[in-house]
Amino acid sequence: MEPEAQLVAQCLQGDGSAWEELVRRHSRRIFNLCYRFTNQRQEAEDLSQEVFLRVYRTLGSYRSTYGAFGTWVTSVTRNLLIDHYRRTKRDRLTDSMEDTMTQVEEKESAGRRPDQVAAVAELGMHLQRALAKLSPDLREAVILRDLEGLDYKEIQQVLEVPEGTVKSRINRGRIELARILEAMGMRPN
Amino acid sequence: MIFQCEQIEARLSDYLEGALLPGEVAAFDAHTATCAKCHALTAAVRGLVGEMHALEPVAAPMNLVPAILDQTIGTRKSPGGWKAWFGWTRALIQPRFAYGTLTVLVTAAVVSQALGIQWRTPTVADLNPVNMYRMVDRQAHLVYSRGAKFVGDMRVVYEIRSRLQPDLEDETPAQKAPATKPSDPGRSETPETNPRNPNHARFVGNATPNVASLFVVASLRSKP
Repeated sequence: MEPEAQLVAQCLQGDGSAWEELVRRHSRRIFNLCYRFTNQRQEAEDLSQEVFLRVYRTLGSYRSTYGAFGTWVTSVTRNLLIDHYRRTKRDRLTDSMEDTMTQVEEKESAGRRPDQVAAVAELGMHLQRALAKLSPDLREAVILRDLEGLDYKEIQQVLEVPEGTVKSRINRGRIELARILEAMGMRPN
Repeated sequence: MIFQCEQIEARLSDYLEGALLPGEVAAFDAHTATCAKCHALTAAVRGLVGEMHALEPVAAPMNLVPAILDQTIGTRKSPGGWKAWFGWTRALIQPRFAYGTLTVLVTAAVVSQALGIQWRTPTVADLNPVNMYRMVDRQAHLVYSRGAKFVGDMRVVYEIRSRLQPDLEDETPAQKAPATKPSDPGRSETPETNPRNPNHARFVGNATPNVASLFVVASLRSKP
């Protein structure tokens, strides 16, 4: 696999296949980030396209000193999600988000038994509902840490806040999430 | 150092991620051992984090990447000319395809060997299901008969050895295996205490040096 800095350089020279490779590498992760944050599949798809459109237009401004390309794309995604959240805040009711959450998540079973697949899918649905009840700053911190697997330094770069703030948000987000799930009658094993 | 409930909540993630100092860990454990509320909270958050880490990513829509590429670099032209004809060959140079092909070839070689197909002089009749069944049946009988013959030869060697070297059967008390003590758990009867005992591990050990003689006997018996 070519290093991403090299792919970015090729993109800037007009190589369409290099851009395609970058999109394929990051599209699924960005979609997951948008889906976990918005709890809406269609919105997540639209936002993912918007993320890559913005990345494509501002590709020339990326510098390797900013960190890994993936971290930079995550940062762009996060900014877009926050803008989207503020834009739709007035139109959004917490209860309506739960009502629209009727579809079962499509998951790759990865060789699990059917009962395990069903349990995981159920957990995913409840987790989405609980995440929707978190405030945006706690939600994004928990998603980046526990669902996207970023380390504290990367999250600090994405959120542009001190590391202490990152840790505090993650801790409060986890505790709040656990209490919300318990109130919903879901007890993690 | 003593932790209160507020400190437990504030340091919970550090505790779960192993970022606390040993003294702090001890203080944390000491508090959660006595405080049911903090104990339950710690268990709940630990379980939640574990399950979130185990969650797999959601599958992205199939048309996401094409839609992104259409909006950014535009609709891509389909390759023309010889590239269109031989574009499918790109899939052949993928490592996954090579591993799959190799696996199929090895499996086919093993199966054809079992079926007795002669690749140097192949015939259409080799692919006849009736002939395949006969070959498999013949191979199975051959394997069984060779195994039975081997067991029979081992038995012959044992009988010959026991008749030619009977003095080895009369061992001194010091050479005998120690008698099973009632206090020894797990020790079962030995062939000396019970001839019907199927535990012939000592027989196998004593018969091992005679493997060479076994092959001599087998080769002599196989000659016409």
